[in-house]
Amino acid sequence: MTFRSKLFVNFILALLASVALITVAVTLISRKAFDQLNRDHTKALIQQFQLEFDRRKEEVQHRVKGIAEEQETTAMAVDLSRPNSDVSVYVNDAHGVSQSHQLDFLDFVGNDGSIISSQESPARFGYKLDWVTQQQDWASRGAFLLKIDTQDGPQLGLIAVSTVRVGDRNLYVVGGERLDQKFLSSLVLPDGTRALLYLNLEPEFQSANLLNQSGPAQDADRLASLVQREQKNPKPQSERIVWSVYPVNAEEFYAIPLPENSKDMLALFLVGSSQNAAIALERKIRWLAVAVSAVGLLFGLLLSWWAAKRVTKPVQELVKGTQDVADGNWSARVPVHGKDEIGQLAKTFNGMTQQLVEQRDRLVQVERVAAWRELARRLAHELKNPLFPLQTTVENLQTAHDHSPAEFDEVFRESTGILITEIQNLKTIVTRFSDFAKMPQPELSPVNLNEIVRNVVKLFEAQFSAVGRPPITPELHLEENLPLIQADATLLHRAIENLVLNAMDAMPAGGVLMLRTMHTEDNVRLEVSDTGSGLTPEESERIFTPYYTSKQHGTGLGLAIVQAVVADHGGSISVESETGVGTSFHIDLPIHPPQIKVTPAPPILVEQPVHKA
Amino acid sequence: MSRRLAASSATILFALPLVAAAMAKRPHYGGTLRVEIGAAVASLEPSTTPANPEETAARTEIDSLIYESRDADGTFSGAQGSGPFRISDWQPAKELTLAANEKFSGGRPYVDAIEIAMNRAAKDRLLDLELNKTDFAKIAPQDARHAAERGVRVSTSQPDELIALIFSAGSADKTTDAVREAVSAAIDRSAIANFILQKTGEPAGGLLPQWISGTEFLFAPLATPADGTAKAKELLGQNSSVPKLVLGYDSADPLAQAIAERIAVNAKEAGISITTQALPQGAAARSASLMQTDAVIARIGISSAQPGIALSNVLATAATITEVDASPLPSNANAQDVLDRERAVMKTHRIVPLDWVPQVYGLSARVRDWKPPAPGETWPFADVWLDPVPQASQ
Repeated sequence: MTFRSKLFVNFILALLASVALITVAVTLISRKAFDQLNRDHTKALIQQFQLEFDRRKEEVQHRVKGIAEEQETTAMAVDLSRPNSDVSVYVNDAHGVSQSHQLDFLDFVGNDGSIISSQESPARFGYKLDWVTQQQDWASRGAFLLKIDTQDGPQLGLIAVSTVRVGDRNLYVVGGERLDQKFLSSLVLPDGTRALLYLNLEPEFQSANLLNQSGPAQDADRLASLVQREQKNPKPQSERIVWSVYPVNAEEFYAIPLPENSKDMLALFLVGSSQNAAIALERKIRWLAVAVSAVGLLFGLLLSWWAAKRVTKPVQELVKGTQDVADGNWSARVPVHGKDEIGQLAKTFNGMTQQLVEQRDRLVQVERVAAWRELARRLAHELKNPLFPLQTTVENLQTAHDHSPAEFDEVFRESTGILITEIQNLKTIVTRFSDFAKMPQPELSPVNLNEIVRNVVKLFEAQFSAVGRPPITPELHLEENLPLIQADATLLHRAIENLVLNAMDAMPAGGVLMLRTMHTEDNVRLEVSDTGSGLTPEESERIFTPYYTSKQHGTGLGLAIVQAVVADHGGSISVESETGVGTSFHIDLPIHPPQIKVTPAPPILVEQPVHKA
Repeated sequence: MSRRLAASSATILFALPLVAAAMAKRPHYGGTLRVEIGAAVASLEPSTTPANPEETAARTEIDSLIYESRDADGTFSGAQGSGPFRISDWQPAKELTLAANEKFSGGRPYVDAIEIAMNRAAKDRLLDLELNKTDFAKIAPQDARHAAERGVRVSTSQPDELIALIFSAGSADKTTDAVREAVSAAIDRSAIANFILQKTGEPAGGLLPQWISGTEFLFAPLATPADGTAKAKELLGQNSSVPKLVLGYDSADPLAQAIAERIAVNAKEAGISITTQALPQGAAARSASLMQTDAVIARIGISSAQPGIALSNVLATAATITEVDASPLPSNANAQDVLDRERAVMKTHRIVPLDWVPQVYGLSARVRDWKPPAPGETWPFADVWLDPVPQASQ
């Protein structure tokens, strides 16, 4: 992954993390705000309910008191206070009076607690309502909730009692309103909230007793657990109901038992606060955040790419400059952008390459001078050897001509022979230099390296055991089934020949010449080792340098030629040597060499790597 | 002369009120008797069958006015219009106008005409009586007291209608003798008579009223409601399980509804669960509809002042609802025979007498010589005359 990509990815990750953090924060804050809003709505609704409840209480009490204060009621009380009064006359009065005063419940109760007339249960005349006579001061009692048995079953009423006293006898007026959905319909509900009323008239939960503003609530059974908890322990509690598999259909219910602070719960007021709007808005915010994030990410992507590109462009230019320098283009320069660290780095790089070029030029100049000197020394040395016999022979010819004419012919023949020999030597020297300068381009064809090695050894077999010199024992360790390589057989033959000659020169006292071939993954390797005197480290470093030789004779071109041939085949050569032990050359040749380039002759004036080429 | 004249004048002046009073007591011919009834009589043709008992009763009353005579079996003989009145105008189910038959064999009736307005609700009839918009209308027993208090002239017959709780034939497997007796004992009949009927009625113990049989006191209910409740609980104590009963009543009869609800309250006090159920109008007397209920509130009119005939008719009516020996008593049955049959039926507690109620009529002040009809008789409009200047109530 490139530096730009890494930088880009880091930018994106940072951007994503920021967006995610903001999204979560916004969601949490909005949720908290909605929870607070719901709590406020619920609180307001409860307050409204309590106000309405109190208002209804006062209204009921006022109506009942109004009935008690009516002239007809007073007349009834007076009549009933008489001995042997006829109660049956009033048996139907409750119905008409309750209708005229818009009360759902109305009972006229006699001094002993007997029902004289009942609106809600007309057939119960004569039966007693004992609880009515047990309270002494109904005026201060106010309205209260009461479970009332009617012909249609138990009902819940908001009841008030008023007393009409005549003499020492009381007539009780018991009246009230039914607490049902009509009461709920008087409440003004904020959006997203609803009010339910559970009439706790049975010991067990009854779904029909859970009312909303229009009647029995649907899916009442889902609230059974909350109601049952309240039945066991009446206190304000809440429960979250999820009406479907979708969380958006959740509703938070807050329950208030009625009457409050009483162990005998008669009703349960429930405020349902829909989570629909909150969750929908939360989702909307989330999706908005996602959309904004997506757009932001897109912009961020582009900006990050632009920023990464802007930041990494100087670095890439630096990298390219470095690669150019590594590839030998020492004139490469890097544009300097600004004065920041990257700009300073580019400026430093440019200065460094400038210094390198200058140092290289100076070094080349020095090397060039040194090479010319070495060439001059070598040429002088090579040419000096034949020239001295030539001079001596010519001087002998002159001497013989001047002082020994009789022997001149014989001297002449001997001298001309010497001259021809030495001139031949000069020509050989010139040819070597010429050959080195004219290294041919390899012509590749499938070549068996083992076969070339054997041919070279066979060529030198006579010299290995030549009379008059210590024998050299060749040892061949050639790997069978060595793959054919694409190579120029003639050039390889010549290179191996040079190595063998070099080894023979290194073993004037005889020794073992070992040639080994082996097969690596993509290469074949040739090792040529001798048991000669070995090379010093300095010699090992310079041994492939043209015109360099550690011998008293030789042009110093043999190993340079070997290196050139190996390089032309895409291979490499290295040398290992230990003084007094011997030297070993390792040549690695690719089985399938890359496309052969025309390799110019090794720059004779430039120093090459010596230990490995 | 002048003294004699003065004396004569004084005599005349003294005698005028007496003459006027004497003239007022004499029947007066003329006038139109305005009658309101609750039934809607759709047809007066003998071949058509009335839709409900109320229409049947109204048809009987009208037929008695337009036919000459009534046979022993209750049917009318002679041609339509041969009675004291003939049909003058007829709007089915709305209004019937009868004109006096000048050639009636029994003599011309006193009133010139009778206008019968039909399909008038009880409260409308009562209101019209109060406002003097009608001369005659039947009043519900429970409204009699209230009507009288509001100035309506009320005429009451002998108690001739039995209100009873009758266990249906279908309840035999659900109610035992003990359960039925417990229900009977739990009912506070006095409260029904005093409060619901507003004292226009009396508790019933037997199947015939005391004034007909003379033996009803033998079936008198328990003295106090508390005794009845205790007796009911005692009876139910013998039963391991008390069934829940459904008590039906005629949805068009508010009196039956009030009584049924009171019985349910009484029964609850005794530990018996009774729920009330409104039945379609007129269905209370039909046994088929009783399959849905265990008992029903029935109102059985006494059709004769003869004990044997009256009991036979009561049992025949009850037999349409429950299983009871409804075989007619022989014509020569004596008082003991009637008592024995009544006692045998009462022993089963399938018919539980509740209260006796009379027929109650509201009259305007100008109606004279009105007498409530005895059981089996019809309204005697041919004998009624209208006081042109009503002075006082009859």
